[in-house]
Amino acid sequence: MTKNQRLASRLAIGASLLALCASAVAAGEITWWTPNFNEARARELVAQFQEANPEITVNLEITTTNGLPERILTTLQSGAAPDLIDVQHPWVNGYAQNNLVVPLDDVLEDREDYNSAALDYVTWNDQLWGIPYRVEALAILMNRGHFEGAGLDPDSPPQTWDELLAAAQTLTEAGHSGFAITGGGEVGNTVFRSLPFIWMNGGDIISEDGKTAVVNSPEAVEAVKFWTDMYVAHGVSPTSTLENDGTANRRLFIADQVSMYQSGQFDIASIQEENPDIQIGVMMTPHPEGKDTAAILGGWSWVVPAAAENPEDAKTLIRFLAQSDNMGFFTDTFPARTSAMDLPRFDDPMLQVFAQMLPYGRPLPSHPRWVQISQAYFDGIQRILIGEQDAQASMDLAAEEIQALLDQ
Amino acid sequence: MRRLPTGLVFALPALIVLLMLIAYPVAYTGVLSVTDPSGAYTGLKNYQDVLSSRLTPRAFVNTLWWVGGSIVFQVSLGTAAAILLNQEFPGRGVVRAVSVIPWVVPGIVAATTWAWMFHTEFGIINYMLAGPGLISEPVGWLTNPDTVMPAMIAINVWKLFPFVSIMVLAGLQSIPKDLYEAARVDGATFWDETRYITLPQVRPVLMAVTLLLVIWALNHVTTIYAITKGGPANLTLITPIQIFRLGFESFQFNQAAALSVMFFLVAMVIVALYIRFLASGGETAR
Repeated sequence: MTKNQRLASRLAIGASLLALCASAVAAGEITWWTPNFNEARARELVAQFQEANPEITVNLEITTTNGLPERILTTLQSGAAPDLIDVQHPWVNGYAQNNLVVPLDDVLEDREDYNSAALDYVTWNDQLWGIPYRVEALAILMNRGHFEGAGLDPDSPPQTWDELLAAAQTLTEAGHSGFAITGGGEVGNTVFRSLPFIWMNGGDIISEDGKTAVVNSPEAVEAVKFWTDMYVAHGVSPTSTLENDGTANRRLFIADQVSMYQSGQFDIASIQEENPDIQIGVMMTPHPEGKDTAAILGGWSWVVPAAAENPEDAKTLIRFLAQSDNMGFFTDTFPARTSAMDLPRFDDPMLQVFAQMLPYGRPLPSHPRWVQISQAYFDGIQRILIGEQDAQASMDLAAEEIQALLDQ
Repeated sequence: MRRLPTGLVFALPALIVLLMLIAYPVAYTGVLSVTDPSGAYTGLKNYQDVLSSRLTPRAFVNTLWWVGGSIVFQVSLGTAAAILLNQEFPGRGVVRAVSVIPWVVPGIVAATTWAWMFHTEFGIINYMLAGPGLISEPVGWLTNPDTVMPAMIAINVWKLFPFVSIMVLAGLQSIPKDLYEAARVDGATFWDETRYITLPQVRPVLMAVTLLLVIWALNHVTTIYAITKGGPANLTLITPIQIFRLGFESFQFNQAAALSVMFFLVAMVIVALYIRFLASGGETAR
């Protein structure tokens, strides 16, 4: 072999190796990260998808919610990301602003069929950066037995704030904690339960443009006072309120100590299992006279990382998963598409009440400093609960702290 | 040709590892504290932002209470326990072994268990107090502004006083028996012996242990974070937790670095003062 021949043969080998690599990518392998509560249903859908699309291989990786935001942020920034990730709605905005995910406007079908608040969550700069698939909102669970024991009618539960307080007081006189609020645990527990009361009354924590702290406006303070007074002034929330998060309230409800508390449909199964004697009822969150109720919309979306190796196949998978029936099958709570709500699995009187809350769901405010803003708000709520300050003084101080964060 | 000293050659790998693991992060923290997230130099802005936060002075005062309260009780209880365990009595070995249990329990396990015990509604502490009628209604140990910090300190004391007692016990056993015998011949009581022989003899041990305790209390996160996360309303927020929250919950790494640098300097001053005024006074005891 001459020198030239050798070179030529080496080049040929090199070229064929390159071709091999290229075909390996084109063979359509995608990696999908989904949380553990979705695992069984995800496997089933992947099997169906691969039957219809044999040229695409889906590698499922199961994540856990604990520490998930940090893990996703790390992988998105590392440049070696999976092709499809399940994330909670509020996270999407930050990814979009930092160009960590790709726009998905071309993937969305039947825009009108989607919950509009969910689409708002994942929209930034007039583009869609995620496809919402799961939505949920809190309502109020009640112990029907306690209602009957206290002479109240569980079939016509309180609808306004005044009726809620009156019912809570009657239930408390009958020997239980009428209405349990939260004051401990992770910040989110208390934000999800108290912020809707501020919204219903026409207030907010920060202004819409994200420049001004408005948590000490008269509407917001009145709502905060109404909510915290359940513990401070009326004592209808348990003594341990400052230690309680959503899970603790569920335990107290199971232990027959609490008659009403704010929760989602995810609590129903464990209550039925641990204390089958309790007759559970669900009611929409009461609102001020003449105003609408409100809730924070929670849930999950799919995003495609900017660093994904195979974004096109990932989009094909999303189109499959987002078909109404598949989405209705996949979600742990409710689907983001209205048409999927007709599936038989959602035909349950208790679930129907939670579903009625969905149109009143609103996105959490979006701001790069939201973690610190919500912490300052939560500190303010705790100051009221421990009796250090009244609602006005405490929210004034919280507004001052939040304003400093907004100005930084 | 001069060769590197053989000792240095052998120590070099370890020195390089130390340099990478200690010197680099320390220096990098300094750099982070004067830059913004994109790496641009910002001067002292991070320091100003941190100092203007209402939380910073509050956390610092809480830290002083936390460190002071922990140290006083850990040292006094630990020393007392050591002196007792140094006496001859049947079953001494078992008691000694049992007394170190709080120290060997993992911090997060201990904290979670105590959180349950202190719980207003389900806690065994309120249950035991309410049984014989010592309290008429449940006490919110972890939510009452007057009890939450003392409760945290109590847990920290429970956790670490066995460490003090083991160290002091080791010191006690190195005291020559003749000293006690001579004292007894002179008619000394137990209290005289403790006051004039035992304590002066273990003074160097106590000083070293106290220094360690101060450092551990200053950088403590586990117990408080696991139980109250610094709440309610920041009543138990100490500076290390404030740094942790800034960095790992709010992702404000630059501000967290600035606060770390300041806290490091303050801690250095506290430790230096301690060594200057307390630890060096005991020359005669050596």
